Amino acid sequence: MSAAVDDLDVAVKLAVFGTFAETGERPSVAAVAQRAGIDEPRVLPAYARLRAQRLLLLEPDGATIRMAPPFSGVPTQHRVESNGVSYFANCAWDALGIVAALGRDGMVHSRCEQSGEPLRLAVGKDGPEPSTWLFHCLVPAVDWWTDLVFT
Amino acid sequence: MLFFRSEERVREWCTSRGEPMRPLVNMDQLWTMSTTWYGTRLEAISARPKAEAIRGIFASIGLDDDFWDPLSDRYRSFRGTR
Repeated sequence: MSAAVDDLDVAVKLAVFGTFAETGERPSVAAVAQRAGIDEPRVLPAYARLRAQRLLLLEPDGATIRMAPPFSGVPTQHRVESNGVSYFANCAWDALGIVAALGRDGMVHSRCEQSGEPLRLAVGKDGPEPSTWLFHCLVPAVDWWTDLVFT
Repeated sequence: MLFFRSEERVREWCTSRGEPMRPLVNMDQLWTMSTTWYGTRLEAISARPKAEAIRGIFASIGLDDDFWDPLSDRYRSFRGTR
C-alpha cells in the first residue's frame, strides 16, 4: 500500500475516532471528509480499508458507521459518561475501552444481563474502582468478527 | 460481551439460553484488555492487535484457554442462539 493511501487512512481514522471522542456521536461521510481535509469520494474506500483492519464496522449502506470500537454509532445498554459527554459502547469490554481510549475518568452505566440490576462503575485513568462484577463472553475469539454485532 | 453481578447470575443466564458457560473475567482483567486494545485508539499509530499478539495478551492475564485464541480451531464456527 502506498504512503499516500496510508496517510489518507490515518487522516480518516483520526477524523472518525476524534469525532466520536469529542461528541459521542458517529460522524457523517461529509463531516469525516471535512475534518480529514479530503474530498468525500475518498472516504468510503478508506472506510473499506479500515474495515479490513477491523477498526470500523459499517451499516449495510456501506457508508454509515455502526461501530468504531470501542465507540458505538447506535444506542446500546452500555453507556459511558465522561467530561460532560455521553458515549455508547458496543459491549461491556468496550465500555471500559472508551475510558481507556479517552484517557480520563469516566462513569460506566450498564446492567447485569440476567437480573437487570444496574451497574454504575467509576473508572479512572488507572482502572475501575474495586468491583466484584464479572464479564462474560459467549463467542470465542476465533469468531468475534464473524458477526460482531452478535458478539 | 456482557456484565453480570455474579458467577451465579452468569450460570443462570447460560442455562436459560442453553449456552455453555465461558471463562469468567474480572474487572481488573477487563481493564487490562481495554487498555491494551484501546489505549492508543485516538492516536495515528493505533491498530488492533494481531492474532499472534492477542493470544499472548490474554495469556498474560491468566486467560490461556483456547477460547481466547483467535487462531485456535477448537471453538471455530461456534454459533450461539439469537
